Amino acid sequence: MAFANVLFAAIFSAAVLFLVTAGLQLVFGVQRIVNLTAGSVYALGAYFGASAFDWVVVRGGSPLLLLPVLAIAGLLAGQIGFVIERVLRLVYERDEAFQLLMTFAFVLMLQDFLRAIWGAQPRIMGDLPDVYGALGIGEFRFPVYNAVVILCSLSIGLLLWWFVEGTRLGHIVRATAENKAMSEAMGVDTKKVTTLIFVLGSVLGTVGGALVIPTTAASLEMPSALIVEAFAVVVIGGLGSMRGALFGAVIVGGMRAIALSYFPEMEIMAIYLVVVAVLFARPYGLFGKAVS
Amino acid sequence: MKNILLIGLFVATVLCSPFVVSPYYATLVITMFGYSIALMGLNLLFGYGGLLSLGHAMFMAIGAYTVGVLGSKMGINSFEVHLLAAASVSGLIAAVLGALCARYTTIYFSMLTLAFGMIFHSFLFKFYNLTGGETGISVARPSLFGHAFSEISKTRFLTGPFYWYSLVLFLVLFALMALIVKSPFGQALRAARDNPQKTEFLGVPVLRVRYVAFVVSAVYCAIGGAILAVSIGAADPELAFWTQSGNIVFILVLGGLGQLFGPLVGSATFALLQDFLMANTQYWRFAFGALLAIIIVVAPRGVVGLLARGFGGRR
Amino acid sequence: MEMLLRARDLTKRYGTFVALNNVSFDVTKGEVVAVVGPNGAGKTTLVNTLAGLHVPDAGDVLFEGRSVVTLPPAARARRGLARSFQLVSVYPSFTVSEMVAVGAFSRRGRTFNMLRPASWFEPERSEIASVVEAFGLSHRLDTLCSALSQGEKKLADIASAMTLRPRLILLDEPTSGIASSDKHRIMERLLAATESLGVESLVLVEHDMELIARYATRVIGLRAGEIVADLPPSQFFGDPDVIESIVGKVPGHAHG
Repeated sequence: MAFANVLFAAIFSAAVLFLVTAGLQLVFGVQRIVNLTAGSVYALGAYFGASAFDWVVVRGGSPLLLLPVLAIAGLLAGQIGFVIERVLRLVYERDEAFQLLMTFAFVLMLQDFLRAIWGAQPRIMGDLPDVYGALGIGEFRFPVYNAVVILCSLSIGLLLWWFVEGTRLGHIVRATAENKAMSEAMGVDTKKVTTLIFVLGSVLGTVGGALVIPTTAASLEMPSALIVEAFAVVVIGGLGSMRGALFGAVIVGGMRAIALSYFPEMEIMAIYLVVVAVLFARPYGLFGKAVS
Repeated sequence: MKNILLIGLFVATVLCSPFVVSPYYATLVITMFGYSIALMGLNLLFGYGGLLSLGHAMFMAIGAYTVGVLGSKMGINSFEVHLLAAASVSGLIAAVLGALCARYTTIYFSMLTLAFGMIFHSFLFKFYNLTGGETGISVARPSLFGHAFSEISKTRFLTGPFYWYSLVLFLVLFALMALIVKSPFGQALRAARDNPQKTEFLGVPVLRVRYVAFVVSAVYCAIGGAILAVSIGAADPELAFWTQSGNIVFILVLGGLGQLFGPLVGSATFALLQDFLMANTQYWRFAFGALLAIIIVVAPRGVVGLLARGFGGRR
Repeated sequence: MEMLLRARDLTKRYGTFVALNNVSFDVTKGEVVAVVGPNGAGKTTLVNTLAGLHVPDAGDVLFEGRSVVTLPPAARARRGLARSFQLVSVYPSFTVSEMVAVGAFSRRGRTFNMLRPASWFEPERSEIASVVEAFGLSHRLDTLCSALSQGEKKLADIASAMTLRPRLILLDEPTSGIASSDKHRIMERLLAATESLGVESLVLVEHDMELIARYATRVIGLRAGEIVADLPPSQFFGDPDVIESIVGKVPGHAHG
């Protein structure tokens, strides 16, 4: 039943990737900016989540509080989006390359920020995924925690979908994405919309990082590792498309799990071979549109 | 007038350095040459071509590793052979990658180049028999035009024969790049950047023009990387990491994007700045990030732009 | 009469919307063909298809007797079929002479010449000078395009296509954005310059009926993707049914 384990790992990877890339897609969809800080805030969420949980446990909290603590920590850490967006606003009217570079400036700053607070050593949380127990049949076992994270990610995905398609605010966001000038002319405060979207994107990233920390180590390499995978997801799925994020996350999560089990050093190469293959068939990803 | 003054200052500094300043700073000047050459390539692609590559450090790494592999692993010491090999390998890889990437513009282009740079980075780890894996390869000093200069110390080699060699290489490549930029090709490239559709309608095959710029820029980066490898004495996989690609873009923007002297001024400023910052704080990355942000907002034409403004001209 | 450009049964669909429906017409040497019609009639789609920006779903485009429908815009430009845009497109950071140079080099296949400064190429230099002079912009040769007046930008834009030595040029609303008082002057300058530079025919999309009545040799009326009339101006504007279906007013009448 090793296959079932791999399958489960794949779904878990996909769930976390989906969370983070949903954030990327939102920001790109509305602001046409590719947010390189997605990886950095992901790492921030992981580190902050780990520290928050330690803080709770030290004060006598039960380890069962793991999930809620991490979720809240993720939400809190995501507020850094406000700061980043405020500075990014200074280059909204500029060439996309400069906007990209501005996010890179933040990647550099955040890297040292993480290092300054948490040091250069990776942080591991210990045997926590089993804190809620595990289910299993024979060789196939999976921690309940992981299953809950998958459910969380699905729910958040559905919530996002409902928000964008079903609420008035979501409608306004879509209109702003479609045509900023026209929305402004109709009285929409697009500044608030872009701030909301960017912070939402950051929160998705930090929550993803926080939720994943029990199963992996937080390290200063996290941002880059995530960016590389997130880009694969987004290029396969198509920039700006939520559906693309979902499909892309499933494909990349799947490839990652398979690669890790059967040919670990080839992980990135295998993933990007798929990327190249998709691009030959669909130059702008499965659900993407040409960016002019 | 101001141009001549600055050039004169530069020439004087560069000619005197090996004699006047400490070997440490003279070696710093060599790294400045190396970065300048690499940045000239990047400037062609990004400054004049408008394509932001976040993976070009991989070509610098190719240059560095070519020197290392040929020298340390295969016993070939001629730097001329190293340079030729570095140019060929990077040109070949760029020819393949460019065929895929050049058809995309900024956003997808940046994402794809970042990704391929990271794939190359993972290659460097995987083929550790060839590349030394995580630790990289140490680069022995090469022979220049057949002379091994084994009678002098490594430091004397770097501040002596290799210094002049790099300087001449830099001048030659700079002159070449100046020609390329002013040539019909350079104009077509800029036209393609400013308005690709109009440029197509003027009979220019925009995709091919970008492709050629991509390959040329890769070759320049490889040569720059080769020089750096010799002066540092090592080839290291972190050279190909995507943040390193971002860093060289930062240095270029610092110096002056799309300006002929941007690469040189950027490398010089960066070399001094890095030296100063690293000696005083461990959070130099943060400083660079902040500096990049400030430059983007306040001085998008970089130091060259500031100098031009300071001298009262408009560019 | 030599047939320069032929559109044959051009059809272009966007999903269920039919932008062009079996559009056919010929342009011979020496004609100034105006294409008119209400908004959404397909005029810009037609020009874009003739220029190579769109590939038609059916039909053919022939230039000088040879089919060019599979050629991209750059290739058509090099063959002698050029196009200019409705929105003025100049290169803001280029001087007029640099902008005009791009076409001069591409026509001679020198686009990939990397080793000599562009200003050293003599035949191109004189050609650029004569083209710019034909458009009355010699005094602006070394001016940045961003510093030109709106009318000058228009002329410079069209001048940049002239170094391709096109035999036929497609113009999409050449006088849009120009003050009414300047329109005639610009139009005359345009026609004189293009003629002196060897352009044999023009196809232009234009809304200004006075200009058309005065300068066009033929008017094609387009409506909902189909040609409803193809007549000399006097006949076109003399037929009230045609006018009503396309234009809504007759030139020469005072309008509010």
